[in-house]
Amino acid sequence: MSEKINIPEHYGRWEADITIGKKEDHVTIGYWRDGCKGCGICVDVCPKKVWEIIEAKDKWNGQVVQVTDAAKCIKCMLCEIHCPDFCIKIY
Amino acid sequence: MAFEYEKYLRMDKIPHLWCPGCGIGVVLKAMLRSVENMGWDKNDIAFVSGIGCTSRAPGYIDCNTLHTTHGRALSFATGIKLAQPAKHVVVFSGDGDATAIGGNHFIHACRRNIDITLVVVNNNTYGMTGGQHSPTTPIGYKASTTIYGNIDPTFDICLLAKAAGASYVARATVNKGKMLEKYITKGFEHKGFSVIVATANCHTQFGRKNKMSDPISARKWIESREIPIDKARNMKALELNDKIITGEFISEEPEQTYWENYNHPIHEYTEAYQRIREKAQAQDKH
Ligand SMILES: Cc1ncc(C[n+]2csc(CCOP(=O)(O)OP(=O)(O)O)c2C)c(N)n1
Ligand code: SF4
Ligand code: SF4
Repeated sequence: MSEKINIPEHYGRWEADITIGKKEDHVTIGYWRDGCKGCGICVDVCPKKVWEIIEAKDKWNGQVVQVTDAAKCIKCMLCEIHCPDFCIKIY
Repeated sequence: MAFEYEKYLRMDKIPHLWCPGCGIGVVLKAMLRSVENMGWDKNDIAFVSGIGCTSRAPGYIDCNTLHTTHGRALSFATGIKLAQPAKHVVVFSGDGDATAIGGNHFIHACRRNIDITLVVVNNNTYGMTGGQHSPTTPIGYKASTTIYGNIDPTFDICLLAKAAGASYVARATVNKGKMLEKYITKGFEHKGFSVIVATANCHTQFGRKNKMSDPISARKWIESREIPIDKARNMKALELNDKIITGEFISEEPEQTYWENYNHPIHEYTEAYQRIREKAQAQDKH
């Protein structure tokens, strides 16, 4: 679709073509793993189960999150707004 | 479109020290989006706090910041506003900071109706010092100083602010980041003292003692107690003990702001003070 979006380089990147209602769109999800504290709020607030908790031995509480399927995203922005640690960007 | 928080942050200080899932981060983000909504230049903002977990916020923000003493943030902020009325002065306080040790400063800042925005992050406890009970710990809930349950009634910070003279007062919770942003933006736009109470989760201290030690259950506890202000009007005080009334409590811009109208019930302090200063300077010249 449109040109590639620049996201800060320390963010991991997921992309997908999506349809919101009848509208065709494209989503770019940025996720900063090093800053993530694995609190799970993004998993809880997302209405489409885009996020899931996974094990991470390098984190003190043993978990981080990852994107299950970017194509499910509806750009509601709830995860971006409610992540207390500036780790999520939805474009 | 993703928000560029980096623009307003001291990135070398991030990740911040707050616990995983702590509500303060959500409030801070809403505050930064509100700054963007206002289009303020960072150099024109003075961001002040006292002591506590909440009060660590200015350390992370890239503007004029002041981390002061416990409970006295509003006093320092008042000084800044009087010396430099053009600055946008914003204060970040915990519930203990604003209404326990700083309670007196709080009511008098409200009374003066000075053009400052106060964001109170209410997590129902003293987070930083080990979860002692605060003036907003609901009856029956445990804290490290009320191990058999708290028996003291709570302050409703919004009603207190309104009664003391603040001219914009609103409350939202960390479950509603957009609503928080809206109220903080309105507080910024408002001329006169504005108080925005953000009900937040401290699962680490308050939650751990009250069977909600993880951020999700603490946020759900808050959500289950939210009541919009219109509905709360018909409820009794005791029914509202651990309820969280959300919405706008008062929004009355001072109409008259000049010295001639000093006796007007809602006046704006900074301008009234400016007039006195001009008057004094004029007299000095004679
Ligand atoms: C004059 C003074 N008294 C007591 C303290 C100890 N103290 C530090 S933070 C704090 C409580 C903070 O609670 P709150 O304002 O609710 O903020 P939170 O940590 O919950 O965000 C206290 C009592 C202090 N630093 N200075
Ligand atoms: S909300 Fe943020 S910090 Fe919490 S798990 Fe999700 S990405 Fe990590
Ligand atoms: S102790 Fe409570 S208020 Fe302090 S950072 Fe942890 S969760 Fe937040």
